[in-house]
This record gives sequence, structure tokens and C-alpha cells, in this order.
Amino acid sequence: MEKIIDVVNLHKSYGNIKAVKGIDFYVEKSSLFAFLGPNGAGKTTTINILSTLLTKDDGDVEINGIKLGENEDAIRSSIGIVFQEGVLDPLLSVKENLETRGSFYKLSKAVLEERIQTALEVTGIQNLASRRYGSLSGGQKRRTDIARALLDAPKILFLDEPTTGLDPQTRKSVWNTIMHLQKEENMTVFLTTHYMEEADKADYVVIIDNGEIVAKGTPSFLKDQFSNDVLKIKPINREKLEVYIDKNKLPYEKQIDVYSIKLEHTLESINIINEIKDNIESFQVLNGTLDDAFINITGKEIRE
Amino acid sequence: MILNLIKRNLKLYFRDKTSVFFSLLGVFIIIGLYVIFLGKMMIGYMDEIIGVNSRFLMTSWIMAGVISVTTITTCNGAFGIMVEDTALKKLRDFKVSPIKRWQLVLSYVISAMIVGTIMSSLTLVLSELYIYIDGGSILSFSALLKVLGLILLSVFSSSALIFLIMSFIQSQNAFGTASSIIGTLIGFLTGIYIPIGNLPSGVQTLIKIFPLSHSGVLLRQVMMNEAMDLQYLPNEFKIFLGIAFEVNGDFLSDIAHIAYLLLSGVVFYLLAIVVVSRKRSK
Repeated sequence: MEKIIDVVNLHKSYGNIKAVKGIDFYVEKSSLFAFLGPNGAGKTTTINILSTLLTKDDGDVEINGIKLGENEDAIRSSIGIVFQEGVLDPLLSVKENLETRGSFYKLSKAVLEERIQTALEVTGIQNLASRRYGSLSGGQKRRTDIARALLDAPKILFLDEPTTGLDPQTRKSVWNTIMHLQKEENMTVFLTTHYMEEADKADYVVIIDNGEIVAKGTPSFLKDQFSNDVLKIKPINREKLEVYIDKNKLPYEKQIDVYSIKLEHTLESINIINEIKDNIESFQVLNGTLDDAFINITGKEIRE
Repeated sequence: MILNLIKRNLKLYFRDKTSVFFSLLGVFIIIGLYVIFLGKMMIGYMDEIIGVNSRFLMTSWIMAGVISVTTITTCNGAFGIMVEDTALKKLRDFKVSPIKRWQLVLSYVISAMIVGTIMSSLTLVLSELYIYIDGGSILSFSALLKVLGLILLSVFSSSALIFLIMSFIQSQNAFGTASSIIGTLIGFLTGIYIPIGNLPSGVQTLIKIFPLSHSGVLLRQVMMNEAMDLQYLPNEFKIFLGIAFEVNGDFLSDIAHIAYLLLSGVVFYLLAIVVVSRKRSK
């Protein structure tokens, strides 16, 4: 295992407001890393510090082996960033945009041309090269944004809410592009998201709230640790079931005629079902979701 | 790198047809006013005094003013790109790239100068066309060179002033407001809507302080000289029409006008650089 980003005791305040209060985490090389948190948790502040846009107040950050604050331009040449709002020029074509932004990296003309072709190919927008950025659809724009971030052949790709505001189908295809970059191109992907199904596909998730890390781990670890499996039962006789639940002191919620019983382990459901099987009209057992884990950890629902 | 940024800025300016139109709006207003009624009034007035060629003379007078105004309004339009980059947070993409802030800022300034020069030269061509159709004659070659030189000088001074103003502006709303104020005031500040002689002495002083009015003076001298030898134009008219500025009883020399334009440009650029470098984000 190799750490490509290492953050120790990172602090950042805006005046009196402490946005990031001493966080520690690291990102493994070639992994997909998701940064999860409600609005105002400090996600964007952190991503902005890591990408050299903001200066930190305190702490040590190492990116691709370079200390933050020592050689910003070297860091800038090894990262790519996709901002939440587009930063490309609507009046220029996709190709022109890439040529302009690519010229920042002091590449030879031939290399730059090659990088542009690769970026267009990887993001699947070769056929849009001569279209004006402003005339593209939301998904096409986001792909172009990603293509722009790839121009310096980055080791690390930062994406701030890359799929927010896209329709489900487009979201999926943009997500596939991101997965492709991580799996096939071995890029380290660092993203913030508020879609649980996306965080669920990450190798590692850090949950941040109020400028502090409240939980971190793989998605399955977080689900195990912070969410419950649920047994949903639709009984034939409700009173009979309620008597049973009260007797065994089971934690539950009632939705009209369906009772959701929280389980410590999925296996417990077998016992319960066995004991009351005569009173069951239908039932299902659900695994805990990252959504539940998130709500249990932060006490908030994630919403933009 | 800077070259690529300049190319970008120029494309952004010229492809935005509305912003090109609006940066010429001040010019259209002046020409409109002149063609509709100011012109008739002024030509009639000059007819009584000079007689011959007064139409050519006064058309040259207004066109000289129009060209000097163009240098500032088009620079203003070009700096709109800088404001937009800040307001729409496009700047972040430049900040996370290995380019220096001064390279970016320099690209805005050079693009604005190029836009100013191209658009003012274009205005010159159109002005000459109008003068020719109107019965006047086209600038001699030596006069043309002088006019082009004055355009460059004027663009230098105007771009500096606009750069200074724009360095304070953070939003597109503010940019729109500033642009319309500049577009409106500029006609007065260069003594084009109303000849300087018709204004109270306080305003006259203000106009004389405003750098761009000096390029108006020089352009008038060159362009009107094509219509009649200005030596024979009585001094009172030169003062009245802003063909020469009188300071403490003497006419300012050409050198003084040129020096004032250069100096104002340098001072405004220095001030703007101070403002811009103080704005560095934390």
C-alpha cells in the first residue's frame, strides 16, 4: 500500500468560523476515495486546500510525495480537478477549451495534441470536439470538464460533486467514465458526493461533519458498524404481533400495517420468523444501507 | 502560454456579438445624435464663420471624437472577460494550474489593448467612409499614420484607466453598471456631445484633467487639418471646439498632450497592479 495523499491535523478557519478542525486521513494510490458529508461540513474547503486553491492554517499535507506549500506548481502538474460549476468557456469549442487550458502545462505541441486526443477518447467525446462548450448538454459538459482535468495526465483526479444536477442516466454514464479512469488508467480518484449509491462503490469513505471526521472505513465496514438490518413483517393479526414484540422488547417502527424490526444480525430474523410464522402474511429482510449509516453517524439526512 | 490566453480572450470577446455591440454603443449614440441634429446645428454655425468646407471640417471633428471614445469603450468591453472570470469563478481553474497570476493578468491587459486597437482602427475606416460619402476626402498617408499612432497612445492610456476601474469590480452586475456609466459619461468627458466651450469652466477643467480628452484634441488636429489648414482657424474656435487646450493662457504643445497620455497610462497601470496584487486570495 502506498499513500498518495496524506493529511495530518489539517486546520482551516474563515475569520471566526472554523471550517476544518484538525482532520487526519490518507488516500491509497489508485483507489477510489469518497468524501461524504452534509452541506457546510468542510468537504469543499478540504478539496480546495488539497488542490492548492486555498492555503491551510495548520497541519501537514503531502500530495504525491510533495509537501503542500513547498512546490505548488509541481503539485498542480500532478493533479486534475473537476469543479462543481463548469469553469470552461461557453463560447469556445471543446477542442479550443482544451488547447487553451492545456497550454498551462508547458507541454510540447505534439504532446499536448496527444493528451487532448487521449482525453477526448477516454471521456468519449471525440465527436463533440468542434462543438461549442456552451451548446452541450449537462452530461456532455461534465465529460468535457473531466477531459480538461486529464490534460496534465494527473496522478490524482479530484472531483467535487461530479454527478450533481445530472439526470440518472447521464449520472450513470459519467460515473462509468470515472470508474474507468480509476480501474483501467490506475488513477487515484478523490471525490465528494452526496449520492449514497456512489459512495457505496468507493474503496474507502470518509464522513465529515462540522469540520471533523466522524467516521471512516470501507462502505461495508461503515454499514456493519453504523446501520442495522431490518426485518419487515406484514402480520395477519396485528395485536398478536405487537404482544410478541413487546414481550421480547424488540425495537421497531410501524408503518400502517407493516412492522420494521431492527436487528443486530441478519440471522436473528430466522428465530423471529420461526416463532411467529403462523401470523405472517408476508415479510422481507433488508440489509443496512450507507444511507442509514450516514444518518446514524451525523444525525442528518444528506441533502443538497 | 500568455499567447494562448490572449488568443482565448480575443476569441471570447469577438464571439460575443452583444458585448461587441455594447462596447460600441457609446459610439453609435454619438454618431446617431450627430447625424440627427447636432451635426446640422454645428455645421450651420460654422458655415456662417468659415464658409467653405465647414461640413467636412465638422464631420472630421465628430469622427475624431468618436475614435477617441472607441478606444476606451472597447477596452472596457474586453476587460469584461476579466470580470467574468472572477464573477463566474472560472479563475479557480487558472489558480490550480501551473500559471502565474501576473501571466493571466498580463493576458487580459494585452488582449484589451489589441481589442481597443482593432476596434478603433475599424471605427477609423468607417469614419473615413462616412466622411468620403459625405463629400469630404480621405486622410493623407502621413495623417493616417499619425492617427494610427494616436490610436495606440490613446488605447494605452484608456486601457490603463479601465484596468484600474475593473480591478475593483467583482460581479457582472457591477460591470454592467460601470460600463453604462462610462459609456454615458465618456461623451461629455471628451467634449463630444457638447463642445467644451459651451460648458462651465469647472467642467472644462475636469475635461482637461481627463486623459482621453487629450487624445481627442490631437486626433482633431490631425483629422480636421485635412479639411482646412487649422492655422487659419481663429484661436477662439480652437478653444471652443477642443482642438487645443489652453492652460494658464498658453496652448498645450503636442508633446505635452502626448506626455500626459503616456504618464496617465503609466500611473493608472501602477495603481491597478497595486490593487490586483493586494487582492491575492488567502
